[in-house]
Amino acid sequence: MTSTTLSMKYVTTVGFCADMGGRGFCLPTAMTLRRDGRIFVASRSNTTALDIIGIQMVTRDHEFFGQIGAYGREPGQMVWPSALAVDAEDNLYLADDLLNRITVYDREGDLVSTWGTRGAGDGEFDGPSGLVFDGEDNLIMVDHKNHRVQKFTKDGTFLSKWGSFGDGEGQFNLPWGIAQDSEGDLYVADWRNDRIQKLTSDGEFIAAYGTSGSGDGEFNRPSDVAVDSQGNIYVADWGNQRVQVLDSEGVFLQKLRGEATLNPWAVEYLTSAADENAARSTYVPVFDVDTDDPSEVSARIEPYFWDPVTVALDNEDRLYVLETCRHRFQIYERADNGK
Amino acid sequence: MVAAKTRTDNARGLMAHLLRRGGFGATPDELDRAMDKGYDATLEDLLHPGAPDVLPDDMIRRYHVDQSEMRGAAAAGAYWVYRMVMTDSPLREKMCLFWHRVFATASTKLIQARVVANQLDMFREYGMGSLRDLLVQLSRDPAMIMWLDNQDNHKDSINENYGREILELFTMGVGNYTEDDIKECARAFTGWRIVNPEYMSIKMRNNTARPYGYMSWQFEYDDDDHDHGQKTLLGETGDFNGEDAVDIICKQEATARFIARHLYHFFVADEEPVPQWPHTPPRDPEAIDTMAEAYFDSGYSIGEMLRIMFTSDFFKSEASRFARTKSPVEMIVGTMRLAGGLGVPSADTYAAAIACGTMGQGLLAPPSVEGWQGGSEWINTGTYVQRVNFVGLTLDDPAKPGVRAIIDRIARAAGDSTLSPEALVDSCLDALGPMEVLDSTRSSLVKYAEKYGGLSFSDGHATSEADEAIVAIIQLIVSTQEYQLV
Repeated sequence: MTSTTLSMKYVTTVGFCADMGGRGFCLPTAMTLRRDGRIFVASRSNTTALDIIGIQMVTRDHEFFGQIGAYGREPGQMVWPSALAVDAEDNLYLADDLLNRITVYDREGDLVSTWGTRGAGDGEFDGPSGLVFDGEDNLIMVDHKNHRVQKFTKDGTFLSKWGSFGDGEGQFNLPWGIAQDSEGDLYVADWRNDRIQKLTSDGEFIAAYGTSGSGDGEFNRPSDVAVDSQGNIYVADWGNQRVQVLDSEGVFLQKLRGEATLNPWAVEYLTSAADENAARSTYVPVFDVDTDDPSEVSARIEPYFWDPVTVALDNEDRLYVLETCRHRFQIYERADNGK
Repeated sequence: MVAAKTRTDNARGLMAHLLRRGGFGATPDELDRAMDKGYDATLEDLLHPGAPDVLPDDMIRRYHVDQSEMRGAAAAGAYWVYRMVMTDSPLREKMCLFWHRVFATASTKLIQARVVANQLDMFREYGMGSLRDLLVQLSRDPAMIMWLDNQDNHKDSINENYGREILELFTMGVGNYTEDDIKECARAFTGWRIVNPEYMSIKMRNNTARPYGYMSWQFEYDDDDHDHGQKTLLGETGDFNGEDAVDIICKQEATARFIARHLYHFFVADEEPVPQWPHTPPRDPEAIDTMAEAYFDSGYSIGEMLRIMFTSDFFKSEASRFARTKSPVEMIVGTMRLAGGLGVPSADTYAAAIACGTMGQGLLAPPSVEGWQGGSEWINTGTYVQRVNFVGLTLDDPAKPGVRAIIDRIARAAGDSTLSPEALVDSCLDALGPMEVLDSTRSSLVKYAEKYGGLSFSDGHATSEADEAIVAIIQLIVSTQEYQLV
């Protein structure tokens, strides 16, 4: 399954800073893809822009379909959206890190149910931060402040759990995102241990990839992971402000720093703002920076990833990288056509 | 505000004075440790904080994503409050506050707080070093450049703003330079700008984060846009660049005295508002002379000025204790440090940053280029209520580690005895400072404490009744006018 020639190339950027509302996102923290190409992005926003908190719906062709949910604590609302997943029936599941709640919306975005209880007992959770549906349509959740993973039926009935606090095999330290490969094995972004752990679908430890650092194959607080049809592993290396691609054995293949370009929404905006458009003609987006802090570098260089929080793949192995602080996601595809 | 009655042990009172002024106050246990170490060694620790504070930035950025972006003043203010509450290097943070007041730069005009937060990082690094190095960094600071329009200061068309303010507000003060000096100083700083000045200026002017958010700024020197002609600044002539202008400014007696007066105003005793300084002599001219001398003797070292100040009689004297009005930040951060238990970043830091603003000291948002006047202007009917409410709420829970430690300390000292209302009040005043209060204030506190009668302790342990009584007395003490003083 190893693909040592893999190379990803940039395709486009979807998104727009919608801090005033409207089309786009504001400090997005979660993303998932539906089989028909609809993309769901949850905006966390901040206390001065509450209207944009919700789940925005877009496609990779820059279509915008509005928003599901809103800020608040009532059923269907959210405060700290942290993860999204779609089940086999196209219901959308939202995890709320602060409310310790799963909210289920149907295909039309209407509220179906909510469930969840804060705690450390079986079926209780404290900070749900990663969601994925397994082949049997059970919901696997990263229960991050309990340093474990739990499996539920779709309606929230507890099935099993694994993991505990620590840095040993199968232990976690504030884990974040999760993915499942085509063979059913699970991959967890073991955030504060700076590694990706691979587990069987029953939680048995298989392997750990990465150590702390900023070199190739090293991680600084990885927030999410995705696995393509060939088993290649894509890691949102959040603290290093990059995405790393590993082969199915965990061997480093490529790193991506981001190369966003103006998309149709951005062009449309700039066309309507003549002074900004004119000034932008002299703008040099990428320049030599005088800092080595990756976050500050990202803050200065617009095309680079800034807090790449979520990685997702579509059914053609295109890679989607959601960036919290740039209010957008960048799309990459295989330059080698997957061969 | 009030003439305080002295009742504290002098050495302990002096150490508490140092930790209040050179930091944000001390818990009783911290004061014990400082007493073991001694005044001079404690001062050396304050002056040489060593490595930067280690904050859980990863946790902050994960849970409070707006503090990762650091765009709004609310997020940046919450982040700074957290740092001030958690720091082991309180004088470094105090000096950040000091320079934030003198070199006041507001995110409101810049439309992003991140660049002001970066400026504060620069103050952390340079704030106790050489004034020359600090002024060079300030002149290169992107937030300052945009705040005072130096991106519009070109060799063929100067913008005087930075040239004026570095002389008037940052170093020498009105009356010590001419209008020609301002122009010549501005010429020296032509070409000092940020990368992509046109687009960054337009985004700032239009207050737009679209399409993909704000970009943090970076300094850039454009030699083609620098005026290489001869300039005459403060009596010296040459082809001066910005660094040369800073060198000339640092040589001036007026600079030494202006910075000394600011330090005195911030750390020793409230002075007249800065605009009055050209017309009013310093409160303590000898103190200013002493600090100005230290400035020149040390090669412009701010740290040495601080050392001379903190070891001087004018600082240590009884008269200077509790002689200043606490700024909102001193009040809020000091009380949060006393209460303890903040741990990981939480919504409490946002509430605290907002409270700083409602009490008149919005962090990263000074009201003008002149900063905050401070002194008695911190207190009015509205802000007094805000202060009392905030500190009362912060100290309302006996389970908070700092409150618990105070209660346990009082209980340990009591052993198996019963504390009279007078002894209870004095124990609480000691734990909160030691604080010095007027006899009339103490009488009122004792009268309130009498409702609890004699407070019993068992083998050094507090009962729930004792918890309630001590928390109530503490809350009453922090609402007094004496607690508003530092």
